[in-house]
Amino acid sequence: MRGFAFAAALVVAPMGAAAHGLIVFASADCEAVTVEAKFSNGRVAQQGEVRILDGDNMLLTTLELAEDGTAVLPLADVDHEGGLVVEVDTGGHDNYWIVTPDDIARGCEG
Amino acid sequence: MGVGLKRLLMGGAVAAMATGALAQDRPQIIVVNQALELMAEALVGEAADVVFPVPEGVDPSFWRPSISDISEIQGADLILLNGAGFATWIDRVTLPRARVVNTSAALEDQFIVTQSITHSHGEGEEHSHEGLASYLWLDPTLAVAQADAIAAALVLRGIAEAEDLETALDAFTADLTALDAQTATALEGAGDVQIIATHPRYEYFARRYGLNIASLEWDAGAMPTDAELDGLAAMAADTGATVLIWEATPPAEAFAATEGLGLANVVFDPLAFNSDAGSYVDAVGRAVDDLANALN
Repeated sequence: MRGFAFAAALVVAPMGAAAHGLIVFASADCEAVTVEAKFSNGRVAQQGEVRILDGDNMLLTTLELAEDGTAVLPLADVDHEGGLVVEVDTGGHDNYWIVTPDDIARGCEG
Repeated sequence: MGVGLKRLLMGGAVAAMATGALAQDRPQIIVVNQALELMAEALVGEAADVVFPVPEGVDPSFWRPSISDISEIQGADLILLNGAGFATWIDRVTLPRARVVNTSAALEDQFIVTQSITHSHGEGEEHSHEGLASYLWLDPTLAVAQADAIAAALVLRGIAEAEDLETALDAFTADLTALDAQTATALEGAGDVQIIATHPRYEYFARRYGLNIASLEWDAGAMPTDAELDGLAAMAADTGATVLIWEATPPAEAFAATEGLGLANVVFDPLAFNSDAGSYVDAVGRAVDDLANALN
């Protein structure tokens, strides 16, 4: 899943389309959603709040970014049946990534 | 007919692929702006459903889709992107790359680079991020290239009959070529006149026809604030502008206020938002007529 999603993002994203300031990416496997955040200059976002929301924009839980710019959400901790919205806020910048039910299902394939 | 489609028509497998697709339910094509919607509809006719999922009144460049929106988009038969940085949401989701087409992939050497928002991080120094002007389609010659890319994608994926597409693409290209010539004639010599736009939408249009267009950052169709009107007055005085282009019709009081500054108002729908614009040629043709009248 992660490899596919990264490849897809690279292929379909025009160079000028990089999110302003902060780039957020999330991938899912059967166990967890892994969130990665970095700035558009390539620097890792070493701290920031990760908000996990459902399809109705209801807050499910919050996490903190680790120093390597990642956060891991065990899928067992949240109701992910309708997909998840991952928001990352570093204070100066924020951005989001949408994880659909199909994204999660594909992560369980193979 | 464009080079891309010609190349595909020479492939023998194409017709069989198209026939197979038409035997099923109508394919779904997702687009990221209205210009691509109009192009796709002109090309595909009844062979597919073209869906522009952004609600009316929402800037499609900055639309934030819901999970269900993305689920629907992921299931589409074809997803047509504009490229040049248009539609930030495409960088925040996983799209099925085999069904995604960037309609401006062949046009990158013609992109216009802009400076975007200036800001700072905490107590850091102010800086700005480089961006791209993304309203490519307002140059009809670039719109033709985008339409060619759409047609090639439709054939490659068997969404429409190749012969029908060839006819439709030829007609669309002829219409835009005529519009381009008419616009060049109507706006000949207009480069001597300074124009102001309420938003930076018209970079490619201005380059194509040699126009000087300075831009504000006003909300589409909204009544400008007193501060915004003061800024406009200063820009008009500084540049000697006599024409103001609006991307959407504002309240009547807004027209009165800007006329009071000596500016002729022109509404030029840039065909990005979801609206009842009619065809590409009708919408741009009307705007060009109005602009030519204002300049004269």
